[in-house]
Amino acid sequence: MRKINNPLTLIILLALVIALAVVSNLLSGTASEAEEPDVAAEIAPCAAFTVGPLEITSTVVNTWVMMLLLGIGAFVIGRNLKLRPGPVQNMLEWIIEAIENLIREMVGVEDTTIFLPVVGTLAFFIGFANLVGLIPGLKCPTPDINTPLAMALVVFFSVPYFGIRTRGLLNYLKHYVEPIFLMLPIEIASEIARTFSLTFRLFGNILGEEIIISILFIVMPLFVPVPMMLFSIFTGLLQAYIFALLTCVYIGGAVKAHH
Amino acid sequence: MEWNNLPWDKIFIVLTVLVSGPGIIVGIVVPAIGQMIVAMSGLKAIARQPEAGDRINSIVLLSLAMLESLAIYVLAIVLILIFANPMIKYIVNLE
Repeated sequence: MRKINNPLTLIILLALVIALAVVSNLLSGTASEAEEPDVAAEIAPCAAFTVGPLEITSTVVNTWVMMLLLGIGAFVIGRNLKLRPGPVQNMLEWIIEAIENLIREMVGVEDTTIFLPVVGTLAFFIGFANLVGLIPGLKCPTPDINTPLAMALVVFFSVPYFGIRTRGLLNYLKHYVEPIFLMLPIEIASEIARTFSLTFRLFGNILGEEIIISILFIVMPLFVPVPMMLFSIFTGLLQAYIFALLTCVYIGGAVKAHH
Repeated sequence: MEWNNLPWDKIFIVLTVLVSGPGIIVGIVVPAIGQMIVAMSGLKAIARQPEAGDRINSIVLLSLAMLESLAIYVLAIVLILIFANPMIKYIVNLE
């Protein structure tokens, strides 16, 4: 694995993707073998296998497949960083710089080192989670409400973390009661409401997209869903961008001092 | 026909489906008008001051996302009404 552009590495990665997709499809295949094509069965997560009392859904399997791909890809690319970047490294650097600019603009700080891991991971994870449904055999993890809820909970807990880390505990708690103590319930309600808003925005967008694609697929399986699938690439990446943007705005609200 | 002998379960299901269509029309047209106003004023602002384009761009996207979530709430409610209605177990006799 000396070179990134080694064709053998790419072939191995591709074979891994296909093998994992086939395994995932086999694991979740029992539920989807209905005679009638069903919209709900195409999208809704089904139980892949059970471990004791726990039921492992296909969302978990697909998320782990995706995480494995991302991890292996990041490892292979990260071992081969060069001063004069190749195409893959160039693209990744462009994405990272775009996220850094977003943080600089929205959070309002010059040093992005403490914010980049959270925001960048969320953006990468959601972007790839929205795109992974395009691989045949894999289901999108995001139309399951648990995945967006987990992402929104990460944001919910990281906002006070960054607020306390940059401004101190007392200063952070003071912004709840500024300018008057009557703002306290409103602030708490808005913190909870925006968590649900983040959840349902991501969930609803991707679910609507997937429902339209599977309805088109049932009506006319050949070529008709393709334009909608191309459009779903755009929507998925846009949703990842918007999620990162809103995360930056919420973190910025906790980090910035009120004047 | 007596009032109690009407097929209430079928009427209920038909009613929920009939309500979902107009519901999602209203719930999508109104945020769409709001998004139109946001995009229009964003374009006007960028045309007046092109050097502030980046800042305006991100604020416009933020407002569009906020407005879009309204339509998404309606979509979620309509999907719940059609696919996973919580009231249906009280109306329909599941035996």
